[in-house]
Amino acid sequence: MTPVYFSFTSAFTLGLMGLAFHRTHLLSALLCLEGMMLSLFIALALWMLQLESTTFSAAPILLLAFSACEAGAGLALLVATARTHGTDRLQALNLLQC
Amino acid sequence: MLYFLDLLLLSLVVGLVGVASNPAPYFAALGLAVAAGVGCGALVGHGGSLVGLMLFLIYLGGMLVVFAYSAALAAEPFPETWGVGSVKAYVLMYLLGVGVAVWWFWGGYGDHWVVVDEFKEFFVVRGDVSGVSLMYSVGGGMLVVCAWVLLLCLFVVLELTRGLSRGALRAV
Repeated sequence: MTPVYFSFTSAFTLGLMGLAFHRTHLLSALLCLEGMMLSLFIALALWMLQLESTTFSAAPILLLAFSACEAGAGLALLVATARTHGTDRLQALNLLQC
Repeated sequence: MLYFLDLLLLSLVVGLVGVASNPAPYFAALGLAVAAGVGCGALVGHGGSLVGLMLFLIYLGGMLVVFAYSAALAAEPFPETWGVGSVKAYVLMYLLGVGVAVWWFWGGYGDHWVVVDEFKEFFVVRGDVSGVSLMYSVGGGMLVVCAWVLLLCLFVVLELTRGLSRGALRAV
């Protein structure tokens, strides 16, 4: 593995492990998702730069637009959770009453 | 220069360790900002000046400001940094995992990734700039799809957070 390939692969894996294992705050899970999208953006951009296929360079920008949608929906869920439960701890979402 | 780019990419991994080790959301947002900054530096060093600028301005300037505001909803009296308790253990564990992966996978110094437009002179625009301009001509369909998705996302956010009798959030 070249160092570039190793770097964004391990960054994606670290974001995935953080999302899978640590869920005290909802915002922590959303930040891990954002880290995964960041590593995907860097991966697409570096692939485009390495292969010199410049027609591919619209792909990371479209990915950035879609990740903005994902971040917006996630933060809206965070605001909704804070309005109903008063906190964003995921332990509070297990309670049967608000 | 190549070793400096490797240093930037390893800083990206260390920033993601700081996000994934479950600190308080303030410090996780800080780790993500560090990761985005050094990722921008790595992209610029590989020759993609426009995508690096776009990452820095849009991602770091737009999205992380929203995350920093939302960190106020997750406020704690004693936020955990990377040096205390279980977070320190997770940081050490992830760094150990990255170190094992470096020992196992690292290699290929002979075939470093080249940068775009290397060994070519007298370019008017960089390669990624000329590629992005295709998005406005033959890739206009995807541009329309992106604009439509962003508009849909606006209505999704408004419905999720409205909270009167008709929205998705009826308890408030």
